[in-house]
Amino acid sequence: MSSHREAPEISKDPVADNADTYAFVSPDRPDTVTIITNYVPLQAPPGGPNFFEFGDDVLYSIYIDNDGDALPDIVYQFEFKTEIGNPNTFLYNTGPISSLTDPNWNKRQLFTVTRVDCDETCVLAECLACPPCNIGPRSTPNYGALADAAVHTLSSGEVVFAGQRNDPFFVDLGSIFDLGDLRPFQNLHLIPTAAAPGVDATKALNIHTIAIQVPISALTKTNHWSGHANAMSSESVLGIWGGASRRKVRIADCANDELSEAGPWVQVSRLGNPLFNEVLVPLGQKDLWNASQPVNDATYASGVQHPELGQLLPVLYPGVFPNLAALSAPRADLVAILLTGIPPGIVPGFQNNTGTVLADMLRLNVAIPPASTPNPLGLIGGDPAGFPNGRRVADDVVTIELRAIAGVTYPLIDSSYKPDAAASLITQGLTPAPSRYLPTFPYVGLPYDGYDTPSS
Amino acid sequence: MSDSTRRSFLKASTPTRHQLAPAGIAPPAAGASALNRRVFLQSSAGAAGAVAVAAGPRLAAAALSGGTSTEPARVITKPSGPPPRETVMAYIRNAERNEVTVVSGMRETTYRDPVLVKRLVDASR
Repeated sequence: MSSHREAPEISKDPVADNADTYAFVSPDRPDTVTIITNYVPLQAPPGGPNFFEFGDDVLYSIYIDNDGDALPDIVYQFEFKTEIGNPNTFLYNTGPISSLTDPNWNKRQLFTVTRVDCDETCVLAECLACPPCNIGPRSTPNYGALADAAVHTLSSGEVVFAGQRNDPFFVDLGSIFDLGDLRPFQNLHLIPTAAAPGVDATKALNIHTIAIQVPISALTKTNHWSGHANAMSSESVLGIWGGASRRKVRIADCANDELSEAGPWVQVSRLGNPLFNEVLVPLGQKDLWNASQPVNDATYASGVQHPELGQLLPVLYPGVFPNLAALSAPRADLVAILLTGIPPGIVPGFQNNTGTVLADMLRLNVAIPPASTPNPLGLIGGDPAGFPNGRRVADDVVTIELRAIAGVTYPLIDSSYKPDAAASLITQGLTPAPSRYLPTFPYVGLPYDGYDTPSS
Repeated sequence: MSDSTRRSFLKASTPTRHQLAPAGIAPPAAGASALNRRVFLQSSAGAAGAVAVAAGPRLAAAALSGGTSTEPARVITKPSGPPPRETVMAYIRNAERNEVTVVSGMRETTYRDPVLVKRLVDASR
């Protein structure tokens, strides 16, 4: 969740596991878009002495489609290189780390940012520093300053950050995977227990974030940006997803001090909409989905039209979802939300449609300005600046998608359908602390340190 | 492999729009599960010397005994299907010493085979 360990193979390869992708018009710089892809999920902060890091052998990519064909027109690529200062110690750091060039920091990562436009490849920056992991008061006593120093402004206009953060995605993992339980309503479950508040399983877990802020004019098809006035234009909608790739061939040999690799990059993970592969793709196809491209997602349309979870809810919560139980028509509402974008004429003043190609991408209408008071329920909460118009870091995508699957959004395509009363009441029962997020780039809160977490 | 070599290899392999296009990706289909990542990792032994093709000891012997003048020319072709679960792999371990390593099942053998090494190097160009 939302794509943490969501498929059999990638669950064994966390450094390449694209756990979440976010894309939103930057609230403090509304002429830019911020895109975030997160990897190495479910990090326990004390996890040393080899603390978490990106893979030097992984190509991390952010894809942008600006003409609605579900093929990437722009790709930002991130490649990492680990440097060890002193190979004769087991320590990650030999003293307090006071700066990104501190010699006490023994194992650091640097990264390269490349932009690919069709066949033109441009290396935007090299040897950019990641921050260290947040270890504790002796090793990283002023972590905020270290993290701030790792925000890099590029001469080409982008702002980038890559490093450890607190996972912004909040979810009650323990209950949702216990036969679709939601603690606030578990008294109504087929196997009932007393109702209880939700438990935020990722509250104190860290993740590795790749964040980039790009001028909107550098992303649109026309390389032009006229402001937040043209929301009904198809050119205002960007399709966005993230992905990780490994080399096709790899050989391990004790005579090598590193693995040898060859061949083209092979995609092993991707993520557009949250929960897509997790919930809508069956177990036997999840690995293949990770290797395939959004443009081929018509193959997976049946899982969206007839979501398994939509059939399970009436079974798991007997008598609670009678209207959903009787709904057998293909879920065109979910297809619009997840695979094509919502066309004009459905929600007044809003659209994020990219045409007829069925593809799992976040679809961000960059002409929708940031909300002054964001609603974590996004569009279904009356806030068109949030999911499924892109995705902000604090959007409650679990609740949104559960409500949608439960039938809340079906009246968008069939006004005669009356959703079950419970559908609009579904909630995880979670409200993340405001400190989990930042008001400025990279918007994701600082990671928990290993000394204090978990606290006794 | 040195950093500079690895870096240049990475750059040469940077995917472009054409490489990312669906033509290079087989759409999911019934029976296509062998195209998953496990198969790539399990069936592909690797290429320390930057060249790896399906090959084996018999091929190496044939190359040594048969020479090159009567052999048919190489033909570039599209793969006819996914790789088998147990692939025989050959890679050049040391081109200057004409060393080629063949991996098959649980076995690994290194030969000195100048003909095969030359053919593999030629095929990589």
